[in-house]
Amino acid sequence: MGPQEHDHDHDHPDDEIAQAGRPGYYEVMETAVRELLIEKRLIEAEEIRRQVEVLDSRTPALGATVVARAWVDPAFKSRLLANGRAACEELGISFYDDTGLIVLENTGQVHNLIVCTLCSCYPRAVLGLPPDWYKLKPYRARAVIEPRAVLAEFGTVVPDDVEVRVSDSTAMVRYLVLPQRPAGTDDYTEEQLAALVTRDTMIGVAPATIRTGSTVR
Amino acid sequence: MPLYLRGKAGTVEAVIEPPGIDNEEEAYGRNAGMKRHYYRVALPMTEIWPDYVGSPRDGLRIEVFETWLERI
Amino acid sequence: MSQTEQLLKRLPNDIGGEAAGPIQWVDRELEPWEKRCHALADVLDFHKLINTEEKRRGVEALGAEVIGNLSYYERWIAAFANILFQKGILTPGELARKMDEVAGRWQAESTGEDSPPARP
Repeated sequence: MGPQEHDHDHDHPDDEIAQAGRPGYYEVMETAVRELLIEKRLIEAEEIRRQVEVLDSRTPALGATVVARAWVDPAFKSRLLANGRAACEELGISFYDDTGLIVLENTGQVHNLIVCTLCSCYPRAVLGLPPDWYKLKPYRARAVIEPRAVLAEFGTVVPDDVEVRVSDSTAMVRYLVLPQRPAGTDDYTEEQLAALVTRDTMIGVAPATIRTGSTVR
Repeated sequence: MPLYLRGKAGTVEAVIEPPGIDNEEEAYGRNAGMKRHYYRVALPMTEIWPDYVGSPRDGLRIEVFETWLERI
Repeated sequence: MSQTEQLLKRLPNDIGGEAAGPIQWVDRELEPWEKRCHALADVLDFHKLINTEEKRRGVEALGAEVIGNLSYYERWIAAFANILFQKGILTPGELARKMDEVAGRWQAESTGEDSPPARP
């Protein structure tokens, strides 16, 4: 399942401005607000630069290492399911805010899916920034009322005897799905296992599978 | 708490520790209010949506601040 | 619930369960200013100047029409400006003057070039 033809809705910046390479009104506003706050010594330029670096450093590869470790280490998995944030911190993944992390295990009986209907809460510390589709109305509105139809659009079909369980994130707690380990991976190294875990498997819109070659997701 | 869940009946699965501040108060910058708990609530999809299309097993989970919950 | 009752009760962001079209397969890279805007949100939260809930409420307060016409990070920076005004941290006049200064600075820098120079 890959990006299909999509409509450009209001959430796209003005194409004309982007192509001309000239800063838009809101880009000017961002710089102005930032510079004023720095001048007033309420924030520092270095803090912004550092936080941009932090944002750049957070990618789904972090979440993938957590999942791979849980797959090979049952004791770690227990700790992860009991306290997601603490277990991630064990692996050196720091959290730069007060949010908690709850890890939801997919099993033969339950398939978990994550959404934030009110805004776009997302486990950024372990996955980086969310994809646009996660933040746009169709996903946010429909995931809680017709999750199976939404999953089908991602090419994921969950049998009727498996519960689809949707978790609606709030600001104070974030979720991460622990996908099921694919069959036939008994002799995989942790690194090889991590390579099977994509962002979409940890949001819950796709299962982890063995693939030949990698898919950019 | 989202509108689509108002008035729906669910089951408390867990108490979230530590106690926290009401989202709504925090949204107004009042960070020092009395702390209460958030509770993880489980609801069957069929309870939320009368015409739910999917498996009757399907469910939803959400963390709700204590003041939004009423014991039934 | 009557139609108008629903309009009053339902905030623009409260869309769980609403009718909507197919998933929009958008997955683009952020512009540098959008990343800086996100970083700004984190730094404002860290300094307890604007927390996540205040930001969410600030975006809601823009109203459905503005929300519908601004992109994701445009909504954030507009909401920040409003909240900072409300808290007396910035004044609209200050911001307007600074925006003119920034725009003027970039205009001067880009004179004779096809694209503006990289900004921190």
